Amino acid sequence: MSDDGGLALLLLGPAGGAGLYWMLYRYYRNTDKSHAFERETVVDAKPVTGAERDRKVDEIKGTRESRIQGDNLRDYRKRVQRIRGDSS
Amino acid sequence: MSNTTPPPVPPTGPGSPRDVPPVPGSYPIDPATLPDPIRDELLAPDPVAIDTAAEELKDGANRCPKCGATDIRQRPGTDLLICLYCRNEWHGQRVEEEFGFGEGLDELTGTVIASGARDIDTDVSSLMTYKCTGCGAEVTVNTESTMTARCHWCRHVFGVNEQVANGAVPDAVLPFHIKKDDAVARIRQFVDKRRLFALKEFKEQFTPENVVGVYLPYMIVDGKASADVAGRGEIKTREYTQGSGDKKKTYYDADIYEVERHVDFTVDDLPLESSTERGNLDTGVNTNNIINTILPFDTKNAVKWNASYLSGYTSEKRDTDVEQLRPRLEDQLLSIARCQVEESVNRFDRGVRWEQERLDVHGTRWVAMYLPVWLYSYQQGGKGGMLHYIAVNGRTGETMGSVPVQQWKLLLAAITVGTFLEGIALWMLGSST
Repeated sequence: MSDDGGLALLLLGPAGGAGLYWMLYRYYRNTDKSHAFERETVVDAKPVTGAERDRKVDEIKGTRESRIQGDNLRDYRKRVQRIRGDSS
Repeated sequence: MSNTTPPPVPPTGPGSPRDVPPVPGSYPIDPATLPDPIRDELLAPDPVAIDTAAEELKDGANRCPKCGATDIRQRPGTDLLICLYCRNEWHGQRVEEEFGFGEGLDELTGTVIASGARDIDTDVSSLMTYKCTGCGAEVTVNTESTMTARCHWCRHVFGVNEQVANGAVPDAVLPFHIKKDDAVARIRQFVDKRRLFALKEFKEQFTPENVVGVYLPYMIVDGKASADVAGRGEIKTREYTQGSGDKKKTYYDADIYEVERHVDFTVDDLPLESSTERGNLDTGVNTNNIINTILPFDTKNAVKWNASYLSGYTSEKRDTDVEQLRPRLEDQLLSIARCQVEESVNRFDRGVRWEQERLDVHGTRWVAMYLPVWLYSYQQGGKGGMLHYIAVNGRTGETMGSVPVQQWKLLLAAITVGTFLEGIALWMLGSST
C-alpha cells in the first residue's frame, strides 16, 4: 500500500468521528435550516435570456480540478459584486 | 412619518448606497419657482397606501353582526368568528379579494404600502386606552403582547382595531388552523426523534402542553424585478489519466466561457420578519432560524384584520418599516434570480462562477400580516443561556425545532465511532504490510 493510501486510511477514524458529531449536532439543533424562499415562493419568471451571448474566451489544459474554481452556481445566497443600476 | 423621528439606519455591507436618501417631499429647489408643468408634477399627491382600516371597528368593540354582543372568538380550527352569546358564526373577508393583493403583479410599479404596513411613529405608545361604549369606563390594552381586553365593569370585550401608528395593527391576520392538541402532538413527535443525545434537563422538564400560540408580525411582499448576472463557465473537453497504479492521476481540459444571463420575474407573497428580534437569524446566539424555517404560510387565505381572532393568543409587535426591510428583500430577490437562471447554464458541466449581479426592482407591494405560530421554548442554562424554540406552523403544521444536546454524550459517541473506524483502518494497514 502507498503512503497516500495509508494516510487516508489513518484519517478514517478522526474524520468519521467528526462527521458523526456534526451530523448529529445538526439533526438536534437544526442550525443549518432556514426558509427556502428560492423554492417555496411562487415565482413567475419569463424565459431566461443571454444564452446566445455565451462567448468562449480561453481554455485550460491539464487541470486536476474537476469543477471550476470558485463555483457558486448553487450558492444562491452568496452575494457577488453588485452592479448598481439607475432604477434600483 | 413625522420629521422628529431619526432616519432609518442605512443598510451596510457590500454595494449598499453611501448617501442617505432625502426625506420624501423635500426638494433642493422650491417647487413654486419652477415652471407650471414641473411644479404640478412635483406637488401632485403621492400614491396613498391601500386603506385596510375598517370603519365599523374603530371604537374598539367588535360587535356580532346579528345580536351586537362583543364576546367574539375565533372558532378553533376554522377561519370563522363565533359570537359566544348567540352562537352566530361568520367569516372574515379575505384580503386577497377585498384589496386585490393577488392581482396585477405584472403591472407593479413603485412602492405600494398597505395602511397597516406604514412607517412606525416612535412617539406612539404601545399602551392604548379605550372608553368602553357599554359603561363609559376606561380600558387599557398593552399592544406589546395582547390585542384584546375585557372591561372589568360591564364585561364588554375590546379589540385594538384602529390602525394606530405603533405598528401593532396589521392589515391582515391568518387565523390558527392547527389546534393546540395537534401542536402538542407534533412537538412531542419531533422531540421523541431526538432523545438519545438531548440535554438531560431538557428531557426532564419537557412539557409540550406549555406551548403558546403566538401571532408573529411579518411583511408579505409582492415584487416585480429583473436581474442580470455575469461570470465564467467551463465546459469539459477532455478527461484523461496519467501514470499507473497508485500514481494514477486524473486530468481535465476545458473551454472557458464568458456567461451572462437576464431574467424578468415576479414574486408572490414573500414573507419577511418585521420584528428586529425575530429577523436576527444568527444561529450562534439564538434559534430564530427555527421559526424562519416553518415559513411559508398560505397567506392567500388571510382575512381582514379583526382583533377577535387574537383573543386567547399572544402577539408580537412589528418594529421595522418598509425601508429597513428593503435590503433583505433585495438580497432575497437576487437569490431567487440566481436560482432561476441555474437551469439555463446546464451546459457548463464544470460549473459556473458568478462574479457580478445586478437587480432592478420595478415595483413592490407591502402588506403587514400576523401569522400564527405555536411556540415551545426552553431556556438552556438559566438566564443568558440559549433560548431553544420548537415551532409549529399554525396553518400547515410544519414543525421545526432546536433540541439542546448533552455535549459529553455526543462527544463520547463520536469518539467511540471514530476509535472503532480507526481500529478497522489499523487492522487493514497491518494486514496489507
